[in-house]
Amino acid sequence: MLTFIVKRVLSGVVLLAVICALTYALLFASGLDIARNLVGDQATPEQVAQRARELGLDRPLVERFAEWVASALSGDLGTSWFTAQPVLGTISARLPVTLAIITVSIVVVALLAVSIATAAAMRGGWIDRAVQIGSIVGDILPNFVLALLLVILFAIHWQIFPAISTIAPDAPFSAWVESLALPVIAIVIGGVTGSTQQFRSAIIGQLEKDYVRTLRSRGVGEGEILFAHVLKNAAPAGLTVLSLQFVGMLGGVVIVEEIFAVPGIGSTAVSATTQGDVPLVMGVVMTTVVLVVLVNLLVDIVNGWLNPKVRVS
Amino acid sequence: MKFKKTAAIAAVLLPTLLLASCGGSAGENAGGEQGRSLTIGMLGDVTSWASEDAHVGHGLVPMQAPYDSLLRRDAQGELQPMLATDWSYDEARTALTLELRDDVTFSDGVAFDAEAVKANLEHFKDDALRQASQLAALDSVEVVDSDTVVLHLSEPDPALELNLSQAAGLMASPEAVGTAEADTVPVGSGPYVMEVESTVAGSRIVFTARDDYWAPELQQYDRVEFRVLEDVSARLNALQSGQVDATILDATTYDQAAGAGFEILEDYQTDWNGFTLFDRDGELNPALADVRVRQAINYAVDREALVEQIERGHGTATTQPFGPESGAYVDELDDRYPHDPERARELLAEAGYPDGVTLTVTMLPGWDGMQAAIRQQLSEAGITLTSEPVQFANMFGDIAQKKYEALHFNLFQSEAWVNVQQLLVENTLYNPFGSTDPELTGLIDELQSLSSGEQADAVAQQINEFVVENAWFVPLYRLDQVIAFDAERVEVVKQPQQAFPSLYNFAPAA
Repeated sequence: MLTFIVKRVLSGVVLLAVICALTYALLFASGLDIARNLVGDQATPEQVAQRARELGLDRPLVERFAEWVASALSGDLGTSWFTAQPVLGTISARLPVTLAIITVSIVVVALLAVSIATAAAMRGGWIDRAVQIGSIVGDILPNFVLALLLVILFAIHWQIFPAISTIAPDAPFSAWVESLALPVIAIVIGGVTGSTQQFRSAIIGQLEKDYVRTLRSRGVGEGEILFAHVLKNAAPAGLTVLSLQFVGMLGGVVIVEEIFAVPGIGSTAVSATTQGDVPLVMGVVMTTVVLVVLVNLLVDIVNGWLNPKVRVS
Repeated sequence: MKFKKTAAIAAVLLPTLLLASCGGSAGENAGGEQGRSLTIGMLGDVTSWASEDAHVGHGLVPMQAPYDSLLRRDAQGELQPMLATDWSYDEARTALTLELRDDVTFSDGVAFDAEAVKANLEHFKDDALRQASQLAALDSVEVVDSDTVVLHLSEPDPALELNLSQAAGLMASPEAVGTAEADTVPVGSGPYVMEVESTVAGSRIVFTARDDYWAPELQQYDRVEFRVLEDVSARLNALQSGQVDATILDATTYDQAAGAGFEILEDYQTDWNGFTLFDRDGELNPALADVRVRQAINYAVDREALVEQIERGHGTATTQPFGPESGAYVDELDDRYPHDPERARELLAEAGYPDGVTLTVTMLPGWDGMQAAIRQQLSEAGITLTSEPVQFANMFGDIAQKKYEALHFNLFQSEAWVNVQQLLVENTLYNPFGSTDPELTGLIDELQSLSSGEQADAVAQQINEFVVENAWFVPLYRLDQVIAFDAERVEVVKQPQQAFPSLYNFAPAA
């Protein structure tokens, strides 16, 4: 198990290095005139050139990237070129908000998906059909439409939740709960259908196997068959789709963050990228890669624990 | 199975609902225990709080919380004393003397005086980028005594007094000027002080009233909060749920806000939408060198139809780049180019293009619908419109490199001299090919030497007539600023030539 984890961490580090290098190259390959963007439309070409020099934009790409790597390894992610806020500070302030949304969403999606999928697989009938139809609808409906509908109903009409986030450093915990409820609901509704479908297929696949028939013929109860055997064996497929959804949510949460004005990392990523705020983009990308690697590692460990057969010795 | 599912859902949602209802509901700005409070929904962030980084319009209003300016532009557009009590030019109009208040301190305790003014203006001159042109003519600042400064100019600048009510006139504490902290926490003499503990950079910026502010009549609130809401539906939703008192919307959300009972300021226009024909000398597109071709484009567009289709009627067709409040405006000029595709064809034929011409304009994201409508209109006159997609972030760099023959953009309308400097002089970004004309240059030189008044207006109008007659632009319409607010909580009036009302224009509803 330990070797497995070490190997995964090492490959994660390689992935991080590759993606960071690619991102850095892409940021500058896009032809974005960052210096001009910073100084505005009234600055003279000389002032633009001067700002470019100050930012080191006239130096070779590899040299600049090496410099960034060196300071990143020492814990210094630099400061935003546009807002003078330290990158690490911005990320550590905003990441928890996005993680809260995504983690709660994933947990809710998992609970709902397993429950509904099990019902659909075991009972069949109308639940099963509803799941399949719901899957298609959930895939088609864009989550910003969903988000807007939720706002109109719950925030404006019934006034149960705020329309925009009330999260602030001096706000109570309830501000987090009330501000994230609608974003989570929007993401859950969008994500639960896909996961449910996957779990359902995996469970049905297991239910058709010989060992289930054998267990039933030995008089083992349905409940024990389900929890002790079927779900455990169906878990890998389901967990895989959940981890994919987690990764997808990291990107998809952006729109929801914009609509609900949640101070998360998604909206930061978008504005940093469009402006060419290189230190901030690199910080966000790095954070995202680390998160994805960790989540995948976690999923593999959980899979291995649930089902010894898929463990790598 | 069913029980488990219901239980699972209930287990998650019920505590959420309970906690939410305990935590306080939406619309917490009724002015409860915190006194009078104002929350404004902004469409963009203030990325730097340093006074020299202030912008115009939306970017200027938040700066009015922590900073005072030397002069203040009132809601009628007139300049009033603020940190400067009196000001006057010399004969040559190259030396502006300012008398200053002697009873003002910055929020860090430092006294406001002539040395502070000098430090601020010199710093702006050296370091300002976004609005650098506001002090382009400043040569030096002379401290006469602690309450008097003289601004020495290298040449007359008709917009200087105006600029001292804008970014250039914002006064920061000399201890803060040029420091790194100034970017994140402003230190000024203004009516409000940033409450750092409640502020989330890029999301909500909170200010509280300063106790010993020298002009209580300009301090209408105990607390001012700016919410950064880049998405227009987020702004509308926040208004409807009572979380902001006032915000800026657009033509597409106008009806929803009005229908929900919110007031919208009338007759509020600050920008014109249209084409700036950079390539009047025909370097990229030879056809554009002929004034008749440029005039043909002006005849070929149907401005009223565009106002209806694009702005849903919330705009005014115009053929002039100068605005009604600028002094350069001429009513009759709006009739110079009625929609007339036939006349356009005639002009093109006269110019030697009986088979029509092609015009390439920049296209920002989201503007394809509008350009499709214009393309349709122009095709009836034999003009083929090609759209060149651009990204806002790259656009200005490319313009400076003369990559585009024409720009499709919203440009703001200010005092005549400001727009002349922005659009018509040889070395401005918006004249990348450096088009000049002796007649125009003569008029611009004349305008520079005049103080504001009837004579200056007359010259500005001649400049306006020149650019319209020579079709240097294809103005389409002035668009409405949709400023929506809750009239039960807030009173607000428009600010001329500014995209968002000044902070001073807001007051609690009676």
